Amino acid sequence: MDAALPSRSSVLRSRILGHAGLMTGLVLLAAALVCAIFAPLLSPHDPYFQDLSARLVPPVWHPRGDWLHPLGTDNLGRDYLSRTIYGARVSLLIGLSVMVVSGLIGTAMGLAAGYFGGRTDMVVSFVVTARLAMPVVLVALAVVALVGGSLVVVIAVLGLLKWDRFAVVMRAATQQARAQDYVAAAKATGASTFRVLLGEVLPNILPQLVVVATLEMASAILLEAALSFLGLGVQPPLPSWGLMVSEAKAYMFFSFWMIAIPGTALGLLVLAINLVGDGIRDVAAPEGRA
Amino acid sequence: MSKFRPAGAAALALFAAFALSAPAEAAKRDNSLRFAYDQVPENVDPYFNNVRIGVIIGQHVWDTLIYRDPKTNEYKGQLATAWRWTNDKTLEVDLRQGIKFHNGEEFDADDVVYTLNFVSDPANKSVTQQNVNWIAKAEKLEKYKVRINLKRTFPAAIEYLAGPIAIHPNEYYTKVGPKGMNEKPVGTGPYRVVEHVPGKHLRLERNPDYFKASPKPQPTIAKVDIRFIPDRQTQVAEMLSGGLDFIMNVAPDQAAQMKAVPNLAVMSGETMRIVFLQMASSEKTPVAAFRDARVRKAINHAIDRQAMVKNLVGEGARVLNTVCFPSQFGCTDEGATVYPYDPAKAKSLLAEAGLAGGFDVDLYSYRERNQAEAMVGYLRAVGIRANLRFLQYAAFRDQLRGGTAAFAHQTWGSFSVNDVSASTPVFFKFEDDDVTRDAEVRDLLEKGDGSVDPAARKAAYREALAKIAERAYTVPLYSLTTFYVMANELAFTAYPDELPRFWETRWK
Amino acid sequence: MLGFAVRRIALALAVALAVSAASFILLRLSGDVATAIAGEGARAEDIAFVRKAYGLDRPLVVQYAEWLSNTLRGDFGTSLYFKTEVIGLVADKLPVTLVLGLASILFALAVSLPLGILAALHPNTWIDRLCLALAVLGQALPNFFFALCLILLFSITLRWLPVSGTGTWQHFVMPTLALGYYVAPAFMRLVRAGMIETLAADYVRTARASGLSPASVVFKHALRNALIPVVALAAVQLGFLLGGSIVVETIFALDGLGYLAYQSITYKDFPTTQAVVLLLSVVYIFLTLAADLVNAWLDPRLRVA
Repeated sequence: MDAALPSRSSVLRSRILGHAGLMTGLVLLAAALVCAIFAPLLSPHDPYFQDLSARLVPPVWHPRGDWLHPLGTDNLGRDYLSRTIYGARVSLLIGLSVMVVSGLIGTAMGLAAGYFGGRTDMVVSFVVTARLAMPVVLVALAVVALVGGSLVVVIAVLGLLKWDRFAVVMRAATQQARAQDYVAAAKATGASTFRVLLGEVLPNILPQLVVVATLEMASAILLEAALSFLGLGVQPPLPSWGLMVSEAKAYMFFSFWMIAIPGTALGLLVLAINLVGDGIRDVAAPEGRA
Repeated sequence: MSKFRPAGAAALALFAAFALSAPAEAAKRDNSLRFAYDQVPENVDPYFNNVRIGVIIGQHVWDTLIYRDPKTNEYKGQLATAWRWTNDKTLEVDLRQGIKFHNGEEFDADDVVYTLNFVSDPANKSVTQQNVNWIAKAEKLEKYKVRINLKRTFPAAIEYLAGPIAIHPNEYYTKVGPKGMNEKPVGTGPYRVVEHVPGKHLRLERNPDYFKASPKPQPTIAKVDIRFIPDRQTQVAEMLSGGLDFIMNVAPDQAAQMKAVPNLAVMSGETMRIVFLQMASSEKTPVAAFRDARVRKAINHAIDRQAMVKNLVGEGARVLNTVCFPSQFGCTDEGATVYPYDPAKAKSLLAEAGLAGGFDVDLYSYRERNQAEAMVGYLRAVGIRANLRFLQYAAFRDQLRGGTAAFAHQTWGSFSVNDVSASTPVFFKFEDDDVTRDAEVRDLLEKGDGSVDPAARKAAYREALAKIAERAYTVPLYSLTTFYVMANELAFTAYPDELPRFWETRWK
Repeated sequence: MLGFAVRRIALALAVALAVSAASFILLRLSGDVATAIAGEGARAEDIAFVRKAYGLDRPLVVQYAEWLSNTLRGDFGTSLYFKTEVIGLVADKLPVTLVLGLASILFALAVSLPLGILAALHPNTWIDRLCLALAVLGQALPNFFFALCLILLFSITLRWLPVSGTGTWQHFVMPTLALGYYVAPAFMRLVRAGMIETLAADYVRTARASGLSPASVVFKHALRNALIPVVALAAVQLGFLLGGSIVVETIFALDGLGYLAYQSITYKDFPTTQAVVLLLSVVYIFLTLAADLVNAWLDPRLRVA
């Protein structure tokens, strides 16, 4: 910690570059991000354009496949490659939005509880315990079933239900940070509580925050897929990978590629996010407790 | 990604190789049939559920007074031997003698009177009120003769007595009620219930004392095991691995694929369920554009119904031009305006209506999601940006009735009642599901429902249907097909009422 | 200790109350139960009739108070859909889910213990990386996808196992795999971390230095200490699994609590959904309470909450 800055950052850089898991994760994540951002440029077709006379065309490696639709078409004759590329947008959007919503709620609660302690801590801890005791999948399912699934509903429900891990980790981390000298120093200079929290405490607990954020993002993407599987996720024609997997499951015993393509994409994305989370944890805490 | 394909191909090749499955053989040898359905009936008592599997169980375990021959549509006596209208609102029924319920109780007028009076009393909370609310009172005239008094003129009464109105044993029903009936069902039907584990399975056994005079033939299959499996893919997997002998409501694509599996047979049949788009055009509509007939006509022109029937709905379905099922009494498309698929015309009609740039609208749907999705695609192609809102049926109907939804992918099965009074009026007679509210149409339908003269009824319905089509209040789409997949050694016949009849099914 | 236990139990009760109120209100606000009961084709007057008959027209607070007082007396109400006592339904389904949950935990432990120990004994080698990769991969696949692949392999291709139902032990093999693989990674990480920590601890070093065989060091000293948090996690995970089995039970048509929950949600069977949510919450609260009390009894420093 006391080492001179330049050498510290170069150590960090070599640690990141030397971490195979982290690098793999970053590359995969970057690929998904590129797909999401440049979807209109990368897609060979309009992902919403349907042609009922060209349904269920198999991918190009199949004897009946052709290069017009490299990954074939779905049950309404829409280009599968284009939908898979656009799917990155929806899945990442869901993962990120849920992470941001739950992260804001959870971090605010954790910071408050850890920093102020006392009665605030008691109240927050109670709310967190109550939330942990609620079976989240079940409650999310029930609410979405009653309200009706859509992108906004799914994000809102998952975001409002999944802040618990943020709160727990942030609370513990803040408690530790509060005891540090620099916080006392900042307080002594007369900085406002808000400034101390945002300027001193938050930056110091950032690594833990990032790790939780990646875990939560991965779990939100999987939860959306599970909701879609039960028919309660985002609505078609929006191409989310979870929805594509659940629509393709009807074809899995006969046209396995249909479920394998979005399933692999989904699996790789979640894998990448998990690898990045693990990697950050390793790099930030080199003593190696994964 | 490609590494998965060989796995799938290998799986296909392997199950083709093992196709002669041992379990199906076993089922055939002990003369039983294993059937699975995705929905669970809340109660197997026919008056206390409103799901199709309930109707199927009802017809196997119970009998009705009258029977409609599914081949000829001719009415025959089942528990009744004869019936006559003494006036517009009074029906007299002679009952068959010598029939016994599964528990040994003798069938007579007391059973009919008790059942009809019990279920038509709203206080008893039957969930199928629309099937029985025309009954005012049933009276016993003699031991084997009853009189049914109607609340209003209701020409379709015979159709209902031949469909959903099963007869319960009065002594047993008084004692156990609908709850006990669900736990240990007792009827007179060709099959009796051996075991019922709610939500899990129902085991039926051939009724050895089934009365010989019944128009339902004597059953040959000894045991029918009905399981509830919620996931369609699991049902398909069970069929592929020989764990089941019969499933229904299989999606057309899966049915087509399963045709290639050696020991399975696929059968399809048109159903009475019709599909149409509702567009709320009454003053209360949340989508003002629907008030304009040109917009409604544009939507009619935008959807390629032929292509949908050919590619998505499947063999046996037909394109409809009016909102009723063609075999229903009074249903016709004679004189009804037809709107052919013409996206250019749709666009120009929208432009005429001042909506050249299209508009945003939510399309509500509750079943056949892929068909709704295809329509969303067609609407987008003419500039109407439709978003799909797929809901549970109850929520779907709430939103439509409550006036938040204006555009609905609606389907209607008419409870298998073969009379137009069970379809069109539901959506145009100013009742809850009417989002149009055209008084002229209502009056014509009322005339059709209330007359006793068949010719007058037909004329009134024809005129109403023509008006609905001319004003483009709906987009009539098509009838649905249902696909059955079964062990190929099963001799089975499918009918449009989506009611598998295991009493006439047998192993070849 | 007694004072701590009393405070902790009071807290658990308060949490149970809060959860029941939150879920009751959340579920009620999301949709109209009366319409669901009335079914397809019901008219407005039918729905109004149902609403009155079931007492759904009264204020939410009154309905909650009534539900709570009934629940406390052991009356969970009647299922709106199945028309039978909810408590009977739940009691019928619970054993299946318990068997599935315990089997999955055991399976997860059987996989994660050896892998975790192996990884900890060779930290930062290819063995460690491989074990970690397995763990990460396990968390990445949606479990319904995994479950359907199992059916494709074991039921359709190999014909070894039945697809769905609860008749024999074979019916539980695939659901156990599908559910267990999902929690195994968490155990593996915990075992690995715990083992690395205890292997580095002074008393283990002493034991090593005193010439004890490596196997004895690993199994007698290190593993025992690394296992304590794993047991605690197992208790908590069991609570999660009972709720998380919803997708797996639906696919394999296992007639358990998850399947009942799914049915009750699709049929808007409010009392049943509410009872299942409450039961799962109470199980979770009880398990964490037990873990807390045991830990506090073992380690007096923790008795301050």
